[in-house]
Amino acid sequence: MDTEWLLIFEKTIWFGFAAIGFGILFNVPTRTLLPIYLLAAVGGLTKVILVHFGAGVIIASLAGASLIGILSTVTAHNKHAPPLVFSIPAVIPMVPGIFAYKMMLGFIKLTGNTSASDYSQILFDTVNNGLKALFILMTLAVGVSIPFLLTRKASAKELKIKKGNKTT
Amino acid sequence: MPDSKEELIDDVGHVLLEVGTLLMSSGASTGRIRTTVTRISEAFELRTELLITQRALTISVNDNESDHFFSSIKRTSPHGVNFKIVSGISRMSWRVVEEKWTVDQIWKDLERLKSLPHYPRIIILTIVALAGASFCRLAGGSPIDLIIAFIATFCGLWVRQEAHKLEFNPYLCVFFASFTAAMLSGLAVKLGWGSDHAFATSVLYLIPGVPLINTFSDLIDGNIQNGIVRGINGMLISFSIALGLLGAILIYKF
Repeated sequence: MDTEWLLIFEKTIWFGFAAIGFGILFNVPTRTLLPIYLLAAVGGLTKVILVHFGAGVIIASLAGASLIGILSTVTAHNKHAPPLVFSIPAVIPMVPGIFAYKMMLGFIKLTGNTSASDYSQILFDTVNNGLKALFILMTLAVGVSIPFLLTRKASAKELKIKKGNKTT
Repeated sequence: MPDSKEELIDDVGHVLLEVGTLLMSSGASTGRIRTTVTRISEAFELRTELLITQRALTISVNDNESDHFFSSIKRTSPHGVNFKIVSGISRMSWRVVEEKWTVDQIWKDLERLKSLPHYPRIIILTIVALAGASFCRLAGGSPIDLIIAFIATFCGLWVRQEAHKLEFNPYLCVFFASFTAAMLSGLAVKLGWGSDHAFATSVLYLIPGVPLINTFSDLIDGNIQNGIVRGINGMLISFSIALGLLGAILIYKF
């Protein structure tokens, strides 16, 4: 049990590093690198813990991505950068690379000569992995957009101005 | 300071075209481009209508009194994602509103933003390779797998940068990078050093994250056409990654 939790917290560290890699690739301002690391770690931790307690990987990804989306608007105020600068690198570590890979491998097997009994099993696995990859990708995009869908504002800054406590 | 209202309209029109195309090529969503450009033009008390597409921007500026219109079109330059510019223009647009900037000040700030340096190449390569290793660990790789993923990502990204310099087709650049990474990690797996995890995760640094997420933001925002264009772009990149991986799979007969 203890080693399992250790593994969960260890994964948190890697989520952060993966996000930083994409941040550097997208040339984000240096002052945003630390927030990106933390956002990715928190979002990733949420996802891993939910999976640990038996939630489906799709719902868990949605929860993690939504948390990143909401926190990114808060960070955007403090660090003076648009929320997408934080949220896009931070959700990318949750991209279902392994599922997509298995789906592709499945498609290749399906084009080869397989016996009728193998075929249905491979088809089953391929469609299952492919749908998981597709839905996780969609939930990541939904999660990042959630703050703006709920508040119906085009800019993170307007959220604060409308409340009256204006920042520079 | 411009002498007449007509000159102001023309000056603002030119700078707005530059702002819009810069944002598009740096990876901003259509909604963000529209809000930013409108915000700047409202600071000058002008009305701006936009037609935003992936490859070009059409703009029409007018004050609500005179008959003078500024209408022009500009091609979007095919630079890569650059969030320093997106973030810088966002800050700048608010300062235009709050500090009543002139057009010249906007041009100066745009020049400054464009000249901001990228991270040094060796840092990009190392950190992205570390990200590749992280992906591998997240998928459940062993320490050896991590090292394989690190090396494969490092070399793959290097190949992609070199291919960009030689001005290959962008999808072809992704294919070269994916193929290199898959061949390297595949070799290690073939020799029995690593597992599937290293092979599958060594190409993940190529994920078209910005096109895919912008696809969704555009679609849900009602910019369906731009969403579809971005989605197809993202799919083509994914397809190029898969093609590189497929090549290695066929060669090594996994």
